[in-house]
Amino acid sequence: MKAFAHINACSVGEVIQLLAKYQGKAKLNAGGTDLLGVLKDRILPDYPELIINIKTITQLNSIEENDEGLRIGALTPLINIIASPLVEKTYSILKEAAVTVASPQIRNMATMGGNLCQDTRCWYYRYPDEIGGMIKCFRKGGKTCPAVTGENRYHAIMEARKCFAVCPSDMAVVLTVLGATLTIAGGGGTRDISVEEFFTPMGNVLVPDEMITMINIPKPSPVASQNFLKFTLRKPIDFAIVSAASLITIDRGICTDARVILGAVAWKPIRVSEAEGFLRGKELTEEVIAEGARLALVGAKPLSKNAYKVDIAKTLVKRAVAGC
Amino acid sequence: MKDYRFIGKATTRKDALDIVTGKTKFINDLSFPNMLYAKVLRSPFPHALIKSIDTAKAMKLPGVKAVLTYKDIPDWMGGLPRHVRVLDSKVRYVGDAVALVAAETEEIGEEALRLIIVEYEPLPAVYDVEEAMQPEAPQLYEQFPGNVLPRGIRVFGPNPLQEVVIGDIDQGIAEADFIVEGTYSYENIPNPLPPESPGAIAVWEGEDTLTVWSASQGPHILKVALQKMMGSSNVRSMGSPVGGSYGSKYMSWQYVFPAAALAKATRRPVKICYGRAEQLAAFTVRLGSRIHGKVGMKMDGSVTFLEGDWFVNTGAFSEMAQGMVAVGCGEAQLMLKCANWNLKPKVVCTNRTASGQVRGFGGQELKCALVPILTLGMEKANIDPVDFFKKNYVKPGEGYYWRDGEWWVSKGIDFTNAIEEGARVFGWQEKWQGWLKPSSVEGTKRRGVGVGVHGNADVGEDVSEAFVRLDPDGKAIIYSGLAEHGTGQRSNICKMVAEILQIPLEWVSVTAADSSINPFEFGPVGSRGTYAIGSAVIEAAEKAKKQLFDLMAPKFKVTPEELETVNGMVYVKGKDEEKLPWIAGLGYHGTCLGRGRFQPDFTLPNFMMIFTEVEVDTETGKVDLIKVVSATDVGQIIDPPSLINQLNGCLGSAGIDSALFEETVLDTRLGRIMNPNMIDYKWRTFAELPEMEHAILETPFPSHRFHAIGVGEIAPSPGPSAVLMAVANAIGVRIYDYPLTPDKILSALGKMDTLKKGGRG
Repeated sequence: MKAFAHINACSVGEVIQLLAKYQGKAKLNAGGTDLLGVLKDRILPDYPELIINIKTITQLNSIEENDEGLRIGALTPLINIIASPLVEKTYSILKEAAVTVASPQIRNMATMGGNLCQDTRCWYYRYPDEIGGMIKCFRKGGKTCPAVTGENRYHAIMEARKCFAVCPSDMAVVLTVLGATLTIAGGGGTRDISVEEFFTPMGNVLVPDEMITMINIPKPSPVASQNFLKFTLRKPIDFAIVSAASLITIDRGICTDARVILGAVAWKPIRVSEAEGFLRGKELTEEVIAEGARLALVGAKPLSKNAYKVDIAKTLVKRAVAGC
Repeated sequence: MKDYRFIGKATTRKDALDIVTGKTKFINDLSFPNMLYAKVLRSPFPHALIKSIDTAKAMKLPGVKAVLTYKDIPDWMGGLPRHVRVLDSKVRYVGDAVALVAAETEEIGEEALRLIIVEYEPLPAVYDVEEAMQPEAPQLYEQFPGNVLPRGIRVFGPNPLQEVVIGDIDQGIAEADFIVEGTYSYENIPNPLPPESPGAIAVWEGEDTLTVWSASQGPHILKVALQKMMGSSNVRSMGSPVGGSYGSKYMSWQYVFPAAALAKATRRPVKICYGRAEQLAAFTVRLGSRIHGKVGMKMDGSVTFLEGDWFVNTGAFSEMAQGMVAVGCGEAQLMLKCANWNLKPKVVCTNRTASGQVRGFGGQELKCALVPILTLGMEKANIDPVDFFKKNYVKPGEGYYWRDGEWWVSKGIDFTNAIEEGARVFGWQEKWQGWLKPSSVEGTKRRGVGVGVHGNADVGEDVSEAFVRLDPDGKAIIYSGLAEHGTGQRSNICKMVAEILQIPLEWVSVTAADSSINPFEFGPVGSRGTYAIGSAVIEAAEKAKKQLFDLMAPKFKVTPEELETVNGMVYVKGKDEEKLPWIAGLGYHGTCLGRGRFQPDFTLPNFMMIFTEVEVDTETGKVDLIKVVSATDVGQIIDPPSLINQLNGCLGSAGIDSALFEETVLDTRLGRIMNPNMIDYKWRTFAELPEMEHAILETPFPSHRFHAIGVGEIAPSPGPSAVLMAVANAIGVRIYDYPLTPDKILSALGKMDTLKKGGRG
């Protein structure tokens, strides 16, 4: 691995100052489970000059509940989400998603903020430099996305235009279904945005002098059923091929509220509003759920080798809504 | 069955504590004073001529001690036949070596690679085995027109088996009740992926003496091979604990040569250790295998003829492909009684990383494509596959052409009992519902069962030699070139010697696998450890014991035959009140040395059957492996935990899981391997194991005094075709290639046709 400077940060203010000073040439290191691989494989054209260790900002490792909901510090490791009684009681879908992430060793290190900010797993983007050189794809300033006519089994089936990589974050999917917001600190002050708005086709909205500090999750209806399903080839370790999260409220046999999100199908978690609208006000019979699942994927435009993801996505929507 | 003191009992592996406490020194743990690190610049093109290389900037980087290109590399040649240079003016796959750097640190070496300026002239590339044989296809080597490699492998003898041509196909056609035909392929080129990636350290003394420390599975044969490939050099090969090999690290010239060339250029020790990406994208994978085959059968399930073109894709070069073809052709005959054969292999090179030796050695690759064609016939005749394999697997007195092209007759045992025991343990009778029928259906989940078979006659292949030295204090030392590659074989030969000499296991040790002190050892391949290596060690121990008794007999005034020894004391049989220690015969200054030599014997086929049960989710296409039962007969178990470990190993190392998710993904526009990492290369983790049971019988073999044979190498090989069969039965539809990923399952089930497939691609 190429050498870089390394600083243990003590406060958010210090981090913002350093980020501003290095103008994009500094990278934040939380759990390091993604960053170190990115650096070691030299997948990016530019190599950071400075790595800022933010694990040392201990006050951002926190889980607190108030009347509005849950506040999770961005540096809270996934293992703490899994072990938290507060999460278990009211926000169980967070735990359901967190336990599917990678392996126990990685969950001990990987943080909530890091899970949201991790880089895509697209294998063209991630192609290691040492085997004939990194691939300059569209996401790295190249002209085209090689996945479009290449090996695209894991790529986007929805909303892709120039880059067909998918958002790899499992936590993003469940945070979106819960309607969570992120507190972002930066040189221009602090701002809050929804998780839904955080992602962009090439990554996320963070500018070089910003970091996520807090994740704010509104309290879901206590009667809403929360479901998260993740399809992978292997049970542990794998990133989602497709995932689905649902928050369904049923009152006297009728679905009064439905939120359904698809993961790993596009550059962001996809809220399938048409399907949600269809489910609301109906009894969730097998036929209604199947039609909801069909509607969820109406906009899908699969590539040469990933049409199967559409079928899996439909199945996951069906199962997440039915709660099985 | 004889009750032994050590044999058949679970004993602690001698190296166990060091391994589990992290004390074992693998190659990357070794370091020498003044040592440099090697790095390899790898080609971005699948096929290209190097027009120019400028190394000047790289040479100027402080800490860089040598940069080598094809212009200044020694003319050492590997491959079969010799056709692979260490560096060439032409590159033949993405990842092919272009230049070598030796530097003071790995980091400096990596930076130096970035300073080498190469100008390429890209050439068209070819990846498909049949396309590569077309007249207009790009040619990888001038000397191999049509990209077809010449037949033959000299080390197997003057007339090695390179096809199966027996009897008369026309007669087979006339006798057949029906003929089935099909094309199946096993071309997902899975990687055996030993946990320890390839590595070596090279040190030169003077101009012509090279010492190599390597993670080779066969350090002694590496010495022999290197000396031949390098010309006049004198090579000392030091074996080290091998962090897994599964065949792939048996021949190690691919990575030893770069280290040796850089060590020669710098006159300093040079270490090369591949990273995981290099191991996955620029080291050896399995052979690609495709068969267009035709089988004639009678309604009773007997096969009247088998005809087929077997296309073997060896990638950028042949490391040992013709050898694997030879053994595969032999193994096909062990599986199938048939009077008329015409199985014609073609070994073809293409522009991807090379195929190398992997356990299953040609036979697994062949069977994964050939057995499914046979099952087309079994389906038509409505024959239970277990009955088919039982009827067809070679029995004592039946013959086969083996790798040397000679006709051999089995002097081994009948495996019918093992098959029946395996079927009983698995519950085959209850689960088998007929061809393309699930064993159970619950909602969207359909279960199916399948069975596969494999065996070789290589348990007695090649030569092993060993010495056993007895020391005056009752201890014994085995001189053997056997490296420990994870099976426990080094411990197991100690058990054999301890049993013969009746001394505690702790009193027996094995020399380091150093080719300068040990006699010839072919290495633990082809399941030959127990019989071939064991026989040499046993003979050496028996001879040493005889020498001891010859020395001791006069002291008891009896003949040597009347003596016995236990725990370092010698006495007359039946009269253990009068004892003398070994030292009484050997003296303080003496030792005995027995020599053993094993000569090849291809008369004892081994056997493995694997039963599998899978569950398919018809809505997601996910296949889960539910249950695995392997059935075998080993004559005599030497060490129960070692054997169970070998059998449990059937899942990984490009075994059963190569039917489920293990695959090397090649982008055939770029020529790049897209999954050279442990996330995208799907390798089962320990958190997800199926239910596993083993039916192990112990019918004595006429092998050596313990009547045992080995089965380790073949443990995974029946697995992939068994899974293919199980999935077809679960979903009622056949799939013709591997692995059985959700896209293939859903497509076979007709699920994806509501969508416009490939809308953009």
